[in-house]
Amino acid sequence: MRPRMIGRVASKDILSTLRDTRAIVSNLLIPLILLPVIMLGLPFLLGGLFMREATTVTPLGALGLEHAPPELIALVEAQAATLESVADPEAAVREDLYPAAISIPEGLTEALAAGEPVTLAVYRKTGNMRSELNAGKLESAVAGYRQQIVSERLERAGIDPEVLEPLRVVARDASTEAERTSGQLSWLIPFFIAIWTLTGGQMAAIDATAGEKERGTLEVLLVAPVRRAEVVVGKFLATVLFGLWAAVMAILGFVLGGFILRRLFLPTLDAAAAEMIGVMGGQLAVTPLMVLLLVVSAVLLSALISAVLIGVAMFARSFKEAQTYVAPLSFLLILPAIGLQFRDLLGVDDALYWIPMLNAMVLMDDVVRGAATGTGVLITWASLSVAIVALLIFAYRNFRRESVLFRT
Amino acid sequence: MIEVDRLSKRFDGVTAVAELSFSVAAGEVFGLLGPNGAGKTTTLRILSTLLRADSGRASVAGHDVSTQGEAVRRSIGVVNGGMGLYDRLTGREILHYFGRIYDLPKPHIERRIGELDALLGLGDALSKRAGTFSTGMKQKVVIARAVLHDPPVIFFDEVTSGLDVMARRAVLDVVRAYPSEARAVVYSTHVMSEVEELCDRAAVLYRGRLVAEGSIAALIEQGGESNLERSFFRLVERSGLDPKEGPAVRA
Repeated sequence: MRPRMIGRVASKDILSTLRDTRAIVSNLLIPLILLPVIMLGLPFLLGGLFMREATTVTPLGALGLEHAPPELIALVEAQAATLESVADPEAAVREDLYPAAISIPEGLTEALAAGEPVTLAVYRKTGNMRSELNAGKLESAVAGYRQQIVSERLERAGIDPEVLEPLRVVARDASTEAERTSGQLSWLIPFFIAIWTLTGGQMAAIDATAGEKERGTLEVLLVAPVRRAEVVVGKFLATVLFGLWAAVMAILGFVLGGFILRRLFLPTLDAAAAEMIGVMGGQLAVTPLMVLLLVVSAVLLSALISAVLIGVAMFARSFKEAQTYVAPLSFLLILPAIGLQFRDLLGVDDALYWIPMLNAMVLMDDVVRGAATGTGVLITWASLSVAIVALLIFAYRNFRRESVLFRT
Repeated sequence: MIEVDRLSKRFDGVTAVAELSFSVAAGEVFGLLGPNGAGKTTTLRILSTLLRADSGRASVAGHDVSTQGEAVRRSIGVVNGGMGLYDRLTGREILHYFGRIYDLPKPHIERRIGELDALLGLGDALSKRAGTFSTGMKQKVVIARAVLHDPPVIFFDEVTSGLDVMARRAVLDVVRAYPSEARAVVYSTHVMSEVEELCDRAAVLYRGRLVAEGSIAALIEQGGESNLERSFFRLVERSGLDPKEGPAVRA
């Protein structure tokens, strides 16, 4: 193979794709914009919604409000809620008249004074976050009232309330800072890099293979004195470049979003909002080593996906047909990304680092969590490299097969 | 310049070219005449190394098509009716790209572009993107691309399909002017009048087989009719191949 010929083939494909406005906008600019929006917007949106619901005084339904002791009403109000009388609390919640409701039985105060147990029902819609949040306010108020009663009873009996807590449990967080702060982003980052590598590369790959077949330009190129291996590698490099470009844009978007969040917004937020943002991964600090590991992994993942794209798209008769062939590839990327959310339950051993594509996503997840190991990195990169070469050989064979080249 | 000896090619058990033999000398315009599915495009694809023959031998400009593919491709230019231009590149960029693929130095490419502009009237096509070209402009750039490296052999395959009368005339003039002592043209078409006008000799192909070969006058005489078209049908009838049957295989 002659590098100068590979470069010439790649340069033409790069120039041609660069002039495709749709490819540039949809595959290269959007990741730069979309990731910061998600990174900033998602935590802020969800955090903001939770905070608003937690702090806004919400009317909640109550059956038997007239039986409610003033202490319980005060505790409910302390939870940013008020009680309004309803005849059927279950229907009121089901029909969205109130997000949550409570049933207070007649004779509550008297029963409590007699030391008899009393049951209060709290109504909610399971799976409805607003309902769950407000039901939680009612349960907290009831728990507070119960605590008051228990303390009073123990005091009357001359018993130290401490006897109820012979053992205490203190939670100590053993995770690293990266693990604590990565939140949902530990799987979102590999997911976005993989998806943008695919979408960024696929336009270039399809245009350079099935598109050229459809327009008749591939045949013209193949009757010129360029070797087919040079054509394959040239087109592969152009595809890698665009896949990488989209991935780098996604990483830049991620870094940009993190920078803006930490420097501009976090100092202005109260602790509760910052904690909520932290759950979503908004406080993740990106180190140069993390960026380096992510970029190298993204390069190899992009090369792997590009080799698949070139080899598969070559089978198609037309651009549209190639898009049909390539579409299922996104599922191959989405499924492992979903699996990454449950990696703690699934268990990840070293064997996963040998599986191309999956290993890159697991490794990127490791990197974002700050849990990458040298062994994992080496196995992943070696496995990806071998797979890339094998797929390029597959693509080269496709370029030599008459039944593929002239499939019409 | 071209030697074809008992060339055969089958696709999925269907014969596309069978035991085809002919030769083309320098200075000649040689016609491949036949209807769709006669094997013309398959023959040209074998000669331009895109396809491998199942049997037989062929050489172009002294290079064996099966063992010296790169040398063959360096010696040929191909113009086909499908155009095959990069829509997002200008005419000049397309010519530069192929010039570099042929390893021509940049100043040489620029000089050739100037010569071809004068010869073909490329004009605005050099600065506009191919996606905006008219059919005639496309065909001019396609021809310029095929002759940019001044190949000794050039293949024209159904090049006038879809062209208006002016563009068609320009193409035919280029074909007629191209051969010289060191250059030859193979002109593939199903249009009899073009063969009569352009070609010194022609091979009549039908269902992948050579039906007749010779000068245009000799072909008319062999057919025993007053013109090439009538003689073509007569020659096909005599070949024993049923003209009512469809094409053997379309490339």
